[in-house]
Amino acid sequence: MSIISARQLTRGYGRRRGISAIDLDVPEGAIFGFLGPNGAGKTTAIRVLLGFLRPRAGQATIFGRDCWRESHHIKRDAGYLPGDLRLYPWMTGRSALRIVGGVRGTDLTAPGRDLADRFRLDLDVRVRRMSRGMRQKLGLILTLAHGPRLLVLDEPTSGLDPLMQITLADELRDRAARGTTIFFSSHTLSEVNDLCDRVAIIRDGTIVADEPLATLRRRARRTVRITFANGAAPDDLRPPGFLTVRRRDGCVWTCVMDGVAAPLLAWLAAHPVHDLAIGPPDLETLFRTYYDFDDRASPVDPPDGDAPVGVPS
Amino acid sequence: MRGLFLKILREVWLGTLLIGLGLFAAETLFAFILPQIQGGIGTMLSQMPWVRGLMSALLGTDVPDDMPTQMLLAIVWVHPVVLALIFAHGLFLGTRVPAAEIDRGTIDVLLSWPLSRRAVYLGESAVWATSGVFILLMALAGHLVGTAITGVPHPPAAHLAMVLVNLYALYVAVGGLTFVLSACSDRRGRVIAIVFAALVGSLLLNVLGQFWAPADRVGFLGVLHYYRPANILSRGAFPTADVAVLLGIGVVLWTLGLVVFTRRSICTV
Repeated sequence: MSIISARQLTRGYGRRRGISAIDLDVPEGAIFGFLGPNGAGKTTAIRVLLGFLRPRAGQATIFGRDCWRESHHIKRDAGYLPGDLRLYPWMTGRSALRIVGGVRGTDLTAPGRDLADRFRLDLDVRVRRMSRGMRQKLGLILTLAHGPRLLVLDEPTSGLDPLMQITLADELRDRAARGTTIFFSSHTLSEVNDLCDRVAIIRDGTIVADEPLATLRRRARRTVRITFANGAAPDDLRPPGFLTVRRRDGCVWTCVMDGVAAPLLAWLAAHPVHDLAIGPPDLETLFRTYYDFDDRASPVDPPDGDAPVGVPS
Repeated sequence: MRGLFLKILREVWLGTLLIGLGLFAAETLFAFILPQIQGGIGTMLSQMPWVRGLMSALLGTDVPDDMPTQMLLAIVWVHPVVLALIFAHGLFLGTRVPAAEIDRGTIDVLLSWPLSRRAVYLGESAVWATSGVFILLMALAGHLVGTAITGVPHPPAAHLAMVLVNLYALYVAVGGLTFVLSACSDRRGRVIAIVFAALVGSLLLNVLGQFWAPADRVGFLGVLHYYRPANILSRGAFPTADVAVLLGIGVVLWTLGLVVFTRRSICTV
């Protein structure tokens, strides 16, 4: 069952581009990464889904309810962390929990305190005296404290130090394991790579990819370094179609490989090899092609002259 | 809703209390001073006729040289300081949602709570309406204290109540305008500027109407035209038509604000 569903969702800002004919399905219990460069339309899509913006066309539902007309019902079971979080400056963590608890009709003090311990936040400091990271932590606590079925997080790690980023990732994994659906936007690949089951990539307001991360990994190129045995790699040796040689250094080839390793191993069986190193799927390059490609190029086929891929670690 | 009211009250109680105390002080001071300078006012009116026009515009009735005490006490209710404090309170509360929330970037947090926009608007309006009663009662208290200190008999309670109802209706009309403009806007300052301009325009119409017939003919377009405490205090007649017009304006504009706020897209990017 889809927790979030959008069909042909469109929203612009006059002459400025917003989102155009977006289709999305976020299954229950998934950690769904919503990726795109700055200005691609991530926040606009989230704002439409949460009922801040009225769609110009299309329809979106969360929990089967219309995102525009029934937004306040949806928010009972959802937690939202805005991208550019601005909290009321007079608030302390404690008063914020009291107020949000009052709005939600439940006492959030105990879960809020637990989360504050986990994120190492003093709940008695006023927001106006907090650093950006502290405000982000408080925003996360207020988003998580009521134990929502759906978390919508717009660039949740911004402002957090690396340790807190790990804490947040652990918290999100725990919640996902308990059935919470997590939809988060990011322009940082590593976050998505570490956490997500599924990824949608938005570019210029349209979805250019929406697939399980495992599929993207299979599709992503890998860096391969082949060290042939002496004399096994003559200059006229032609690589197979799935292998692009970036550099030949005597009997050492540095290549990029499309697809899985089995065909490579089969081809190498005919050519004595001294050493072979196959890197992990290079998602960064794959995503960069989604971000950068123009209409003439395939998103999985980076143009020649693309930055050389790194040597596998 | 409890959390929403907690939040609103936390944000407005101090401002409301200060404005209430300001009104109390201003009313006390004016009710204390004006009867003592009654003779001086008569002299000033005869020497500076334009002041008479200004006072007539504020009081909504012709001002004679020998101003009776009841009319003098009516000045207390139209003094620019008093009106400015009351309108400041209306602007302070009426522009909170959504204009001020968008302006300071907190609307995302507010709208992330499971509250309908209608509930948010009604919650803000409820606090605005009740705190309006509070500040007017503070003004009344100041008036009574001031007259008690000077020993001047204050107007009959029924007349004072009518003035308060008329003033509250004016508060509602200005508030309605503020709410609808706020609902349409993303900038608090812009709303305040427009409402302020409308009030100054209304006052100018009243003033010009004293000297210039064409301005007098269109004087009904300004809200201050429907607030005439001197007439109430001197005649004791309830200004039904004035109150009805002001409440009508207020309710229509407030409702329009509700419709706009519940239907508009909110964007802080």
